[in-house]
Amino acid sequence: MRPVIVSGVGMIPFERRDDDRLVDMLATAGIQAMDDAGLGERPVDAVYVGNMASGLFNHQVSVASALVDKLSLLPAAAERIENGPASGGSAIKNGFLAVASGYHDVVLVVGGEKMREVIGPRATDIVACMTHPEAEYIYGVTLPAMAGMFARLYMEKYGITRKHLAMVSIKNQENGLLNPYAHIHMKITMEGILTHPQAFINNPVVADPLHLYDCCPVSDGAAAVLLTSAEVAEELKKPGVRIAGVGQATDTHTLQERSDPTDLKAVTLASEKAFAMAGIQPKDIDVAELHDAFTILEIAESEHAGFFKKGEGAKAVESGATRIGGKLPVNPSGGLKARGHPVGATGVAQVVELTWQLRGEAGERQVKNAANGFSLNFGGFGNNVLAFVLRRDK
Amino acid sequence: MKTITAYQCKTCQLVMFPGHLRCLNCSSRDFEEISAAEGGKLLTYTVVNELPWGIDERGRVLGIVEFDNGVKAMGLIKVEDPKIGMKLTAGWEPVRVIGGEKAYGLSFQPK
Repeated sequence: MRPVIVSGVGMIPFERRDDDRLVDMLATAGIQAMDDAGLGERPVDAVYVGNMASGLFNHQVSVASALVDKLSLLPAAAERIENGPASGGSAIKNGFLAVASGYHDVVLVVGGEKMREVIGPRATDIVACMTHPEAEYIYGVTLPAMAGMFARLYMEKYGITRKHLAMVSIKNQENGLLNPYAHIHMKITMEGILTHPQAFINNPVVADPLHLYDCCPVSDGAAAVLLTSAEVAEELKKPGVRIAGVGQATDTHTLQERSDPTDLKAVTLASEKAFAMAGIQPKDIDVAELHDAFTILEIAESEHAGFFKKGEGAKAVESGATRIGGKLPVNPSGGLKARGHPVGATGVAQVVELTWQLRGEAGERQVKNAANGFSLNFGGFGNNVLAFVLRRDK
Repeated sequence: MKTITAYQCKTCQLVMFPGHLRCLNCSSRDFEEISAAEGGKLLTYTVVNELPWGIDERGRVLGIVEFDNGVKAMGLIKVEDPKIGMKLTAGWEPVRVIGGEKAYGLSFQPK
């Protein structure tokens, strides 16, 4: 396989975007990535769109075809890639393979979702469509409910408390304050969400033991990367960031069929593959973007990806190791908790953030001298996971 | 009483629910259909306050139960104060209305 370079990145602020349409959002992020790369009149060979459910949220399908038309990238190849909340990661993987194989030289990957076009309970239902129709969905299970059942077991097994979860939330909200693209810009305190006798008014139960501030918001947003061969990248003269490792793994559709439901096997396997391909180890990573759709997942993923031993993730949060300036900053972007989680956009937004970090362009939230970055995009409830290692070229 | 049908691999004896065309463990395609036992124990649960469109309630308790014959399945947990490991008896009732039709599924009461 030949090297694949992230030659350009683009992103629109994640928020509620009532006046915007999905394809316009994808187009804005896409054109930013092309301009960031300085692509000019050079043709784009293919466009991959990571999107989970435009048909259900927006009553529009074939959005990749609509996007190449909007951007006048004809006759570029175009596909929408769907892998639930890991649609963005899957779109990047497919773009990576197309360039690595030598089939394409310039690929635009855009992830996006417009979820706020429907009311909250509708969005909850659409997202729940990824669960098993007969064994899960009929009971009214939601993704927070899946995470709640997982959290109850994980917290008991490893002695994790609600205070640990709140620490993740507070850290990511603080990081989000430094990210102009984040959906939620709000400082929260331990008193306000946990320790005050009336904290439950601010922070009610969504699916116990998870409360509102343990869950990501429902957001609209889009993010894009322009992937090129090394030859094209050299002509474009952008600071080189390459995709050094890609891993993907699947697990059972239902939580109950996992012999140990606290073991996120797909996270472990996808991460191991990405590290093996990059030829580095978790200890070599300087900055990580993890899929904290729920606070418990940041802790569990940090362990399963190999950054901390099982049961040590919560202690790492407590010690400050995962803050910006700590040993391994996790989610300097604010993560899904603060940046938001427009499902199809997230995997791409993670790689955009890592690219900014590795180029030294992350502003106030910059992790000093970051050379190796890691991202994890968690699809389904851990049943289809992508991991990426990004590296700054010397 | 009506309940779910699970599948036991004839080669390695693994019990699966929902069904697969190939065994999760050994890839065999030979299964015996088995019914879930009358009851089992609660493995995990959550109290859901924010339910999806079409379910007009709060505080629905969902959990995963391991039946006495090894079948594991999700269902409604109709218990005031659920505890992991508690013994439950299975029932069968409408659990959701989808497209105007009642969908039936598992519900669990204290034994």
